[in-house]
Amino acid sequence: MRSLQLLRALRGGGRARVAVAVAGRRGLLSAPGSAASWSKVVSEAEKLVGYPTSFLSLRCLLSDELSNVALQVRKLVGTKHPLLSTAREFVYDNQNNLQMRGLVVLLISKAAGPSSKVELSSQPDMVSGIYSSQRSLAEITELIHTAFLVHRGIVNIGELKSCDGPMKDMQFGNKMAVLSGDFLLANACTSLAQLHNTKVVELISSAIGDLVQGIYYENSTLEETRLTDDIGISTWTEQIFLSHSALLAKSCKAAMELAKHDAEIQKMAFHYGKHMSMSHKIHLDLQPFIKGNSTDSVTFSLNSAPAVLHQEFLGREAWIKQIREAQGAGSILDYMKLQEAIKAGKGVTSAIDLCRYHGNRALEALECFPPSEARSALENIVYAVTRFS
Amino acid sequence: MMHCLQGRSSFLSFPKLRSIFWRLHHTTASRACSCSKTVSDEKYQDPFKLGRKDLKNLYEDIKKELLVCTAELREMCEYYFDGRGKAFRPMIVVLMARACNIHYNNSREVQASQRSVAIITEMIHTASLVHDDVIDEANSRRGKMTVNQIWGERKAVLAGDFILSAASLALARIGNTNIVSVLTQVIEDLVRGEFLQLGSKENENERFAHYLEKTFKKTASLIANSCKAVSILGCPDPKVHEIAYQYGKNVGIAFQLIDDVLDFTSCADQMGKPTAADLKLGLATGPVLFACRQFPEINAMIMRRFSLPGDVERAWEYVLQSDGVQQTNYLAQRYCHEAMKEISKLRPSPERDALIQLTEMVLTRDK
Repeated sequence: MRSLQLLRALRGGGRARVAVAVAGRRGLLSAPGSAASWSKVVSEAEKLVGYPTSFLSLRCLLSDELSNVALQVRKLVGTKHPLLSTAREFVYDNQNNLQMRGLVVLLISKAAGPSSKVELSSQPDMVSGIYSSQRSLAEITELIHTAFLVHRGIVNIGELKSCDGPMKDMQFGNKMAVLSGDFLLANACTSLAQLHNTKVVELISSAIGDLVQGIYYENSTLEETRLTDDIGISTWTEQIFLSHSALLAKSCKAAMELAKHDAEIQKMAFHYGKHMSMSHKIHLDLQPFIKGNSTDSVTFSLNSAPAVLHQEFLGREAWIKQIREAQGAGSILDYMKLQEAIKAGKGVTSAIDLCRYHGNRALEALECFPPSEARSALENIVYAVTRFS
Repeated sequence: MMHCLQGRSSFLSFPKLRSIFWRLHHTTASRACSCSKTVSDEKYQDPFKLGRKDLKNLYEDIKKELLVCTAELREMCEYYFDGRGKAFRPMIVVLMARACNIHYNNSREVQASQRSVAIITEMIHTASLVHDDVIDEANSRRGKMTVNQIWGERKAVLAGDFILSAASLALARIGNTNIVSVLTQVIEDLVRGEFLQLGSKENENERFAHYLEKTFKKTASLIANSCKAVSILGCPDPKVHEIAYQYGKNVGIAFQLIDDVLDFTSCADQMGKPTAADLKLGLATGPVLFACRQFPEINAMIMRRFSLPGDVERAWEYVLQSDGVQQTNYLAQRYCHEAMKEISKLRPSPERDALIQLTEMVLTRDK
């Protein structure tokens, strides 16, 4: 499944092409939708980091354990277990953001370069301006991210309804999901230990803890009523930091630690990872509300940025009233109607503002690095997620 | 319990006995399920006494590592750290720490880092229990409902992940890359062991090796590597690290073999889980594999993982008619003997002797 990517990267070679990057910054690139420009930015950036960014290590992908899971997952075809769609998305890479975290870790490593404290001669393991330990870290980051994509897809057996199909299938799916998620996590831990840096182990372990807590919040907003808790945008931001930003922020910081960069550089790398992923998340949340993206089945989370901001402007009471009004028979939400209501308010524009705010903070953080192709690529990623056309 | 008592009496003279002798001696061992408590033997002092002061506040300290901001997630994570567990693993770890420290420079102290290893060991163990219960769809453990039963599978998996991340964080804070590597190996072994449990081998010999490998990875690796970790922290001699590792490995395998025996001989209320649980999960453990040599009819059942109606009951009957339980007990004794041989290489100390005694307790425990 990675062979396509491998091929692409090999064809691209090590040469960087900044032309697109520059064009992107000036807004000359007339991509029809943001998805296209995003994938372009990503694929250009991939070339900068040297060799193919197949982050899930081959050791892991080719292991007996995962091939076993792959065989077993075929038994799930035709069932409704979420592991199936996670696996499908993984294979087809449909959002193009599946490996974004590893790529950012590599780019920021390259942008920061070797520390002045370390003599170049004592660093033989640097390829394309990136240490091999930093490449491992990029892989670890993706392993952890993927492990939790898998663990997010566990089903509560007690809550199954008859329309979910046979319980046995769901139990089997759960078994596979727990095991394969654990396997990816265990591999991440092993690679982490091999970095021989306990500060990095500490950072990444705490990121895993953050991620768990973030997913826990995410779950509680999915439950039952689907009506979100009365959280303001600041609580929302804290929760999204845990579920979507902490891993990348701490990985970026850890990449700096691996090159022995000082505390200030580490802080800036953390900020880039944090604000870039916040703005990326808000960008994704905004997609259902952006013109030209409307498909037949419009659903969105009531916990997405525009909805939360909309509620903040409107007040809780009025928001609940709007939801009631959009609720038809059988309490099925008319998302089209609700979407129109949100679009009519200030939720969407302030979400765009928030997205750009985080984008700007991410760009500011980059100023501590000397200008380079890698830095431009990191900037372009920000431009891609803050562009709404 | 009959087999336990016999196991003990023969253990005392075990080194002198020929194995064939032992087997003959044991073919008469009881097959009945008996709930009577093991008779206490005054000759054996409680080996745990020596480690107990080191484990004071063990669970409070574990809870301090579990820094969670939501009440419910914290409650889930703390659920099994209720002080009702045996703390068998932390006990071995602190005793090993003391035995190694004395061996090296006669130090009577346990280092803070060694105590951290004991805490981390219990946390890794608990995290794996939480996930195992989701995988096995278990509803009770240690006499209470499982986390997945109360809070659902989604949250239970997250709770397990969180405990593991907290253990990993505590591990990093010890600040020793070597210790990080040793204990991370456990995390990998645990999940590989779980995968081994999914598959089964057709060939009988391979099947037994597969079972022992699974047993090592799922149970013994944690004890072996945590013993090794505290030995590294206490003493620079690699020979001592190997002794600690071998001790933990052999005790760990024996511990699991006895666990598998108890699944056939113990009563439900003693184990805190239903008996024949392994068969019901489709797993062929030691007693079944030994029984299979006498009753080849079991083979087909093993291959279909006891999935047909009546399989569990019939396999159970075959096992009790065979010498599977005795053979497994015997194998456990051999591992314990090996553990004893290893630990005896350390300089004598009360803690070392407690570890020797502990191998006997592993064999005679009834829950």
